[in-house]
Amino acid sequence: MTAPPAISVSRLAVDRGGRRILDEITFDVARGEVCGLLGPNGAGKTTTLGVLSTLLPYEAGEIRIAGHDLRTEKRAVRAAIGRVPQEIAVYPTLTARENALFFARLAGLRGAAARQAAADAIEQVGLEQRADEPAATFSGGMQRRLNLACGLVGGPRILLLDEPTVGVDPQSLERIVTTLRRQAVRGAALLYSTHHMKEAEQLCDRVVLIDHGRVVALGTPQEIVAQAGLQLSADVVTERSLPDRWLEGLDGARVLETHAQGLDETGSFARVSLNELAVVARVLARAEEHGAVRELHVQRPSLHDAFLALTGRALRD
Amino acid sequence: MSLLVIIAKDLRLLFRDRVALVFILLAPIVVISVAGFSLASLYGGDSSGQTAYDLPIVNEDGGDLAHQIAERLATDATVRVREIATREQAERLVASKAVGSALVIPAGTAAALAAGQPAHVLLYTDPVKYLERLNVRLRVLQTRDALADSERARVAKNIEQQRDSLRAQLEHLGKAVRDARSELEAAKVESQRESQELGQSAARAYNAEVARIRADVEKQIDQQVRALSAQVQSELAARVDELRAPARDYLDALDKARAAFEKWFGDLERLAGRRAEQIPQPPTFPEPPPDLVRALDAPLPPLSLPAHLEIRIEPRAPKPVAAPALPDIDLDVPNLDVPPAPSLGATLGVEEVSVGGGKTINSFDQQVPGFSVTFLLLGLLLGVSLGLLDERDWGTFDRIRATPMAPRNVLLGKLAARFIVGMAQMILLFAVGYFVFGVSLGPQPWALLLPISGIVFAGTAFGLIVAGIARTRDAVLPLGAIVIMSMAAIGGCWWPIDLEPRWMRTIALALPTTWAMESFNDLMIRLRGVDAALKPTAVLVAYGLVYLALGLWLFRRRLAPH
Repeated sequence: MTAPPAISVSRLAVDRGGRRILDEITFDVARGEVCGLLGPNGAGKTTTLGVLSTLLPYEAGEIRIAGHDLRTEKRAVRAAIGRVPQEIAVYPTLTARENALFFARLAGLRGAAARQAAADAIEQVGLEQRADEPAATFSGGMQRRLNLACGLVGGPRILLLDEPTVGVDPQSLERIVTTLRRQAVRGAALLYSTHHMKEAEQLCDRVVLIDHGRVVALGTPQEIVAQAGLQLSADVVTERSLPDRWLEGLDGARVLETHAQGLDETGSFARVSLNELAVVARVLARAEEHGAVRELHVQRPSLHDAFLALTGRALRD
Repeated sequence: MSLLVIIAKDLRLLFRDRVALVFILLAPIVVISVAGFSLASLYGGDSSGQTAYDLPIVNEDGGDLAHQIAERLATDATVRVREIATREQAERLVASKAVGSALVIPAGTAAALAAGQPAHVLLYTDPVKYLERLNVRLRVLQTRDALADSERARVAKNIEQQRDSLRAQLEHLGKAVRDARSELEAAKVESQRESQELGQSAARAYNAEVARIRADVEKQIDQQVRALSAQVQSELAARVDELRAPARDYLDALDKARAAFEKWFGDLERLAGRRAEQIPQPPTFPEPPPDLVRALDAPLPPLSLPAHLEIRIEPRAPKPVAAPALPDIDLDVPNLDVPPAPSLGATLGVEEVSVGGGKTINSFDQQVPGFSVTFLLLGLLLGVSLGLLDERDWGTFDRIRATPMAPRNVLLGKLAARFIVGMAQMILLFAVGYFVFGVSLGPQPWALLLPISGIVFAGTAFGLIVAGIARTRDAVLPLGAIVIMSMAAIGGCWWPIDLEPRWMRTIALALPTTWAMESFNDLMIRLRGVDAALKPTAVLVAYGLVYLALGLWLFRRRLAPH
């Protein structure tokens, strides 16, 4: 018998201003699982996390968090979740320790237990050296880490994270990712909203891709890529401009896009779809023949590619 | 407990905000100082004397009157007196605007007053310095009244002393009369007592003499009766003895005859022999009665005489000796009341009675509570509304809402923290007012906590309304400034509310500031007890509850998703 999911969302619907924001969203997150919540701007990621955080009402659907009905057991749900909002929601004039301690006490911890939980959270995000300095004096990355620490304090069973790595440097990003992985290892369920596809591929066990308020893909990153129907591709950069039909007659290869390259735009950039890796040699030969190859990059399809493939390249508001 | 967490966090945030601390503590003290000193003239000066007017005095009279006037004025902190030489000098000082007023005491003033003649002093004034002129004139008039009162008091004291002396002499006379009457009364009583004793003594002598005479007479009569009795006894015994002898002889003869008869009869019977029994019994001789025998043998009983002869002698009692009569003397004490002192009143004085025993107001009595309330409301309004807007902008409000803490506790905790800070702010400012500016805290300083808590509560709740209306920090300041400044000004925080027209005072009743200031004035200036603070505090709490309900409603609307 399998354990019930830590987060269970079924046919969630949210309307705002007469417009449907979320339309029958359904997904689960298991204990110990990191689930990425992906989607372009305005897709409904923040609204979904707002509903799951009990901050926003919803029109329809059934949601259970840590076994509690979100509609009738809000207090129990709040006791189970740790929320890391998109904005840096800490008190700038309080120190890192004071911030963490405050949220530890709000989580119901008292005395030495609260102090220990605050210290643990600060240590997890690597801020112990600056724990007693006001948050306002921190860099952006440190503030992001403190923001995360305030959500981790007290070891919540479920973590709802809304783009917690926006604007951080690689070092902070690595620490945040490591910290979140540890949370999953200790058994927490993480629902993680991000725009960083590489980060999602690296961190997430599964991904829920939503667009226009609907789930457009759901599965592991690999499954998402597969669902998008993407193939191997090669990027070719040449010194001279490639003619329009430079690949004509070459089986297993198809030009996806091409444009001028170089300062004087005398060269070309071309992205080519490949049926198999063996075709690369022939593409290289054809490009060399027409334009003198300077660079050749071959890559497998990524989540980023799948994201664009599934949500389109049109700009969003 | 969770409420305390919010309160502690908000207090910590406030104490980290130096600007806010300066705003709620230092700024009001600065404004109170500036307003208190600069507006001191409106209230007749401040208690420290730092805003006192210079008043030069010219003593042309040369007497003690000028010194008395100077001494009197020196006790008033609102004027600073100095003596100058001439009236021209005084006129020049006023003309050069160096002083606003100068006082001249013309020659002969004191002499005229001593003679009961009218006299005048001269007060040079600068018409532009209107308030100074009014204040100095008032002080000079008060001094004049005080001197007149002092003189009247001196004369009245002399009269009273004379009346006391007269009263003492009359008392002495009355006492002498009362003593004489008492002595006469005592003499009369003594005379009656002696007369009574004399009568009793005469009666006792008379009775003794009567008793002696009576005993003597009785003795003589007794002797004579006894002698007479012995004689009668003797004669009677002789006569009885004479009568007893024949009787006794008869009885002896009878006794012999009976013995002879018995012998005869015995012989008869013996002679009769056997026939003796047939002889009848001879008659018996009667026996002499025993009483007769005893009477003949017994001695004659003595004559019975009374043992004591009771002789009643009732001589006429002597007349009592009358005491000499003392004459009645009418010594009633006459009415010794001293007639009332003659009236000395020649002027009509005005006695100012501060109803309820209140003190004289000074500038800081108005400014300390007034600007404390103003800055309290500014601090609360900005603190509550900006604090909530900050929480919203930082995202911490939503973050807290997503915790198990009840959302209302978030608001209540924040309001409670501001309430605590507001109470501390008011208490501190009133303490500064007391220790630095010398304002009165009334007979029951603790009673000030009632209106303070009322206005802090109302102000805190009002901050929630502003937070519910203003959508940005930029909107808070103009909205708050307009509302707070209007409430403070109309409510009498900046000037006495009595300066306002009647219609404005009616409007002011709808403002919490009015009730707070009314209560502070009652407790601090009118020196009333805690009772005076109960109604205003109740009104303030009621306003606070209404503001709180409205603020919560507005804030809930604000939180509702659109």
